[in-house]
Amino acid sequence: VPRTQAAPPVQAPKRRTESRGSTRLSRRAIYAIAVGAAVALAATLVAVSQLVGSSAERTASSRLTGVRATAGLLAGIPQEGTTLGRAHAPVTLVEYADIQCPYCGQFAREVLPTLVRRYVRKGDVRLEFQGLARVGPDSYTALRSVTAAGEQNRLWNMLDLLYRNQGPENSGWVTPQLLQDASLAAGAEPSRVARDATSSAIANRIDAVERQASAAGIDSTPTFAIGRTGGRLHYLPFSSYDPREFGRPIEQLLAR
Amino acid sequence: MTERTLRVAIAALASIGLGIAGYLVYARYADVALVCSTGGCETVQHSRYAKLVGIPVAVVGVVGYALILCAAVARGEAARAAGVALSTVAALFAAYLLVVQVAVIHAICQWCVASDAVIALVTALAVLRALSYRRAENAR
Repeated sequence: VPRTQAAPPVQAPKRRTESRGSTRLSRRAIYAIAVGAAVALAATLVAVSQLVGSSAERTASSRLTGVRATAGLLAGIPQEGTTLGRAHAPVTLVEYADIQCPYCGQFAREVLPTLVRRYVRKGDVRLEFQGLARVGPDSYTALRSVTAAGEQNRLWNMLDLLYRNQGPENSGWVTPQLLQDASLAAGAEPSRVARDATSSAIANRIDAVERQASAAGIDSTPTFAIGRTGGRLHYLPFSSYDPREFGRPIEQLLAR
Repeated sequence: MTERTLRVAIAALASIGLGIAGYLVYARYADVALVCSTGGCETVQHSRYAKLVGIPVAVVGVVGYALILCAAVARGEAARAAGVALSTVAALFAAYLLVVQVAVIHAICQWCVASDAVIALVTALAVLRALSYRRAENAR
């Protein structure tokens, strides 16, 4: 009797230990597989997100000039509709411009980068774009798309790209392909830009700017108005596309 | 925290996440402007990163949160492991999207950040759920 009673207590704990050990191992295996699968799935999602669309973006960028320069110039600066820069920046500079006008292009390429780096990026100046379409049909086509990009807060990127890729006036350079490439490279959704560009809301906005500019007697582009934000703006005369000509009145306003 | 408390907390957070993702899906398909105090919601939502092979990321979010909710409601080892796996995928992908917002798009979507916070909490609770059950098992 003692022999038969002694046997089970010796074997039972051993079996229990084995069983607990194997369960723990299988749980570990389950969680290792779960986390491993999770990491693999997350990596796949990231890879898909990076690859899909990037080839289209690369193709678009290869057809344009200055994609990197534009992205670097405007990266991290807040945009809202037609404005670039901090909403409460002390100085506002308004530009009335035609996307086809060569001097507007010259200003964009030779003056704007300095103003952006010195004043807009620091939060001292906010820029406002008022688009006019006076040179010809290409002006209106481009302006509609640029205004539509403003709906996605990408107006300044698209505008800068079009200036960097500006063609001869009314030569038909503003093609659907160019607009699609520029909106994609600007970080906007091209299909939405194309759809919004033909909307009556965008057309009405462009008409309103034209009426306002005509009423103010603006007969050439580019024309600039400057002043303290929220205050009265004044016509800004200039004689050359030297960044210092635009920097001086900004400094004077900032010093007030 | 007990297993039950953790499940309830995860389910509540997943429901909040579901609400956020659902709102983003609604705004996209109803074509209404998002309520946004950061000013970058539309920029982020219309960037190329807002879609995965043509499917809006917000839709992926709705599906993900729904699955996490199911894993929170269900009992057992499989549900706990599924909860850890799903929340880990979501947290890693959310971290990637946050980096994209800051470093690539240069715009912040407040709804995405709120969802990131929710998923970070869900992941922590899902891991706690798995660990607390093991501790309870070992103590038995």
